[in-house]
Amino acid sequence: MLQLRRVTKHFAGIPAVDDVTFSARPGEVTGYLGPNGSGKSTTMKMITGLIEMTSGRILFDGKLIDDDIIAYKRRMGYVPEEPYLYNHLSGAEYLTMVADLRGIPMRQASKRIDGLLRLLSLYEDRHAAISGYSKGMRQKVLIAAALMHNPDLVLLDEPFSGLDVGSALVLRSLITELAARGKVVLFSSHELDTVERISDRVVILHRGKLVADDSISRLRSLMQLPTLEAIFSQLAVEQDTASMARTIADLIDA
Amino acid sequence: MRKLIAALLARVRAYLPPQFKVLHQLFLLRVVDLEALSIEADIPRFLGQFGGVLIMLSLIHSVAVYWYIVAYPYRLEHYLISTTMLVAGLITVVSWDSIFPDRRDIMVLAPLPIRPGMILGTKLAASASLLGIALLALNTAPGLLGPFLLGQLHPSIFGVFQVLAAYWFAMIGAILFLYCSVLTIQGLAALILPCRAFLLLSGALQLIAFGGFISVYFLEPNLGTLPELLAPQNHQILAVSPQFWFLALLNQINGSLPPELAWLAHRAWMALGIVISGAMASMTLSYLRTMKATLEAPDLLPGTSGIHGLPRIGSSLRVAIAAFAFRSLSRSRQHRVVYAFFMAIVAAIAVTCLRRELYAHAPEPLPTSFLIASFLMMTLAVVGLRAVFSLPISLNANWMLRTTQLTPTRKYIDATRVTLLVFSVLPMMVMAVLLSLNYRPWLHVFQHLGILAIFGYLLIELAMINFDKVPFTCSYLPGKSNIQTVFWGAVFAWTMLTLLAGAFELDAIGSAKTYSTVIGLMLAALIALGTFNRFRARDAVLYFEDLPPELVIRLGLMYIPPDPSSSPKVLEQQKSEAE
Repeated sequence: MLQLRRVTKHFAGIPAVDDVTFSARPGEVTGYLGPNGSGKSTTMKMITGLIEMTSGRILFDGKLIDDDIIAYKRRMGYVPEEPYLYNHLSGAEYLTMVADLRGIPMRQASKRIDGLLRLLSLYEDRHAAISGYSKGMRQKVLIAAALMHNPDLVLLDEPFSGLDVGSALVLRSLITELAARGKVVLFSSHELDTVERISDRVVILHRGKLVADDSISRLRSLMQLPTLEAIFSQLAVEQDTASMARTIADLIDA
Repeated sequence: MRKLIAALLARVRAYLPPQFKVLHQLFLLRVVDLEALSIEADIPRFLGQFGGVLIMLSLIHSVAVYWYIVAYPYRLEHYLISTTMLVAGLITVVSWDSIFPDRRDIMVLAPLPIRPGMILGTKLAASASLLGIALLALNTAPGLLGPFLLGQLHPSIFGVFQVLAAYWFAMIGAILFLYCSVLTIQGLAALILPCRAFLLLSGALQLIAFGGFISVYFLEPNLGTLPELLAPQNHQILAVSPQFWFLALLNQINGSLPPELAWLAHRAWMALGIVISGAMASMTLSYLRTMKATLEAPDLLPGTSGIHGLPRIGSSLRVAIAAFAFRSLSRSRQHRVVYAFFMAIVAAIAVTCLRRELYAHAPEPLPTSFLIASFLMMTLAVVGLRAVFSLPISLNANWMLRTTQLTPTRKYIDATRVTLLVFSVLPMMVMAVLLSLNYRPWLHVFQHLGILAIFGYLLIELAMINFDKVPFTCSYLPGKSNIQTVFWGAVFAWTMLTLLAGAFELDAIGSAKTYSTVIGLMLAALIALGTFNRFRARDAVLYFEDLPPELVIRLGLMYIPPDPSSSPKVLEQQKSEAE
């Protein structure tokens, strides 16, 4: 189980994540939601160890992740929000490098890389430079790199970004399948419909603070709202969206 | 003076079209391939320091000019022309593709109402500005002092002015010849070849040009007196060497060229005419085509399997780091160019040694020059690779290496050490073996190779001090380091060290006792340094650089009123209130 306890992150004194506490359990898909700038990606980076917390604790299976960060990283797979890759490598070379860095035996790595590339429809372009890949193809490389070592904790930050409809449907099923196999899956997305379909529970962040942490059905009944979109709008959207759209149209029309 | 120059520049800028001003400023900052530098680098300061090195060279040249220009005018003028051409050549290579708009330029500029001619003009102007700055920085001192001293010997009353004009015309002509030659070749290649083939060939041409400029500078024969220039056996060399053409041009304009060398000056005029018209024609014809081809080029090009069979050099971590370093070096143009600078000098030294070996009629005893040459080659190979390791390839992709760090830092440092060894010391050892095949006795050759190998390993241990990084993941910060001190300090230290080592080693090779002592001392130093590095590595933390926020370049398009709260008066008032 992944547990965040009173996690806070300040950038130049300004709180990006403020006293956030929640848990993601094995066998469950936890959706992590929030508007732009609410602190989702910052939380993800703290969970991966990419940035340090200002205060608080993160535990995985009851142990502080900082106690043995290497052992923790062995069990973690991460898809970042932005598809930043080494563009001068090909897709196959990038995955081979990740496999080598993770110490996956050569034969096993080669088998998994080939399989993932085929299943993700990248096999034909595996030797082309990543610099030429579309956003969706880059996203697939990231997904393959994150799952290649069969991690126990899967962190997905906007994993559907740039994916075509078919690939997005595959990924949606893959996320539920991974959870069904006992993995801890935490994923953030702006696609509320998808989150509603596949998440067992959701955590909603607004301005760095936790505003909801429960199962979707319970949130629905508590707030007496029919959809996750309505719940999210009430908890995390401050503006009157229709009025704002009218204002923008008026501004450019003037 | 500064105000006067600023006022003059402002007056000139006022007459330029607004599009030209904006694009010129934009392209000037991108003439040098700044992707090779850190995003945190202080670019203006770096360029200032680079100019400082040139001005320092200029001052050293002026001392030589003061002492020797009257006695050896041809030798010094040839040297100054060669050095100016080398600097211009290096700038041309570093700004190789800057003349053609890249995809980003086209995507941004094509939808705007800007004519392609304006883009070409501003790109040319930006390159010319950089070359002009280098020309002035390198030649102002000798270019004023030399003509002043030589002009006094001139029979005409306007001698100083004539010699001055000749000097600067020849220098500008030499730079123009070199730059237009490169443009002509690039333009023709862009015109004839398909886009992909052009990009491939362009990268290769860039490296060839780089090696060519440096090799010519180091290998060109030193013909500095009139009898040498007039000797029939040297005519063939003079005929193919542009430096001598422009030497003749300089002396033709200042009126001191003997009629027997007029054919050389004629070559300079011819060459200038050909390359200027060639550059104009090929650029005009190819520019539109290149822009269109760049825009229409497919995003995804099918790749080949490439080199998969990289040798397994130990653990998977070592393989990963070595393969990453090899691929980064072989595929990134910026890194190749920086590395090529060092390798071109190595190649020039190797060619000099090889020439001696080829012309030898019988095996020779090991000469001091070869010992020094091999030390220099080893030093350049290790220092060059270590320098290029410090240039990042993609800072924002470093997150992957950070999230996959599953082994202690010391293993990463070890992998980097092995990579340095494999790609610098090993090739240099192979080269040294090949270059020493004509030397005897074999025992001395083996003794030298032994010392060279330990020397190479020592250099690697020195290069690894405080280098807790994976190659190509962190920035070298030009502008933040003191390039003046580093450059001159390194040149002086390594020259002295290699000269001393070479001279001393020859004595050591002749005596078993001295040789054993030298080997023992070197091994002791190696063990001490290696132990220190490994001890440090136990507690080291692998350092990765994050991408800082992008800098915003102001093009002066908008008037931004100063913040009244940050004015000196207000700040002073606030300070006094606080006190």
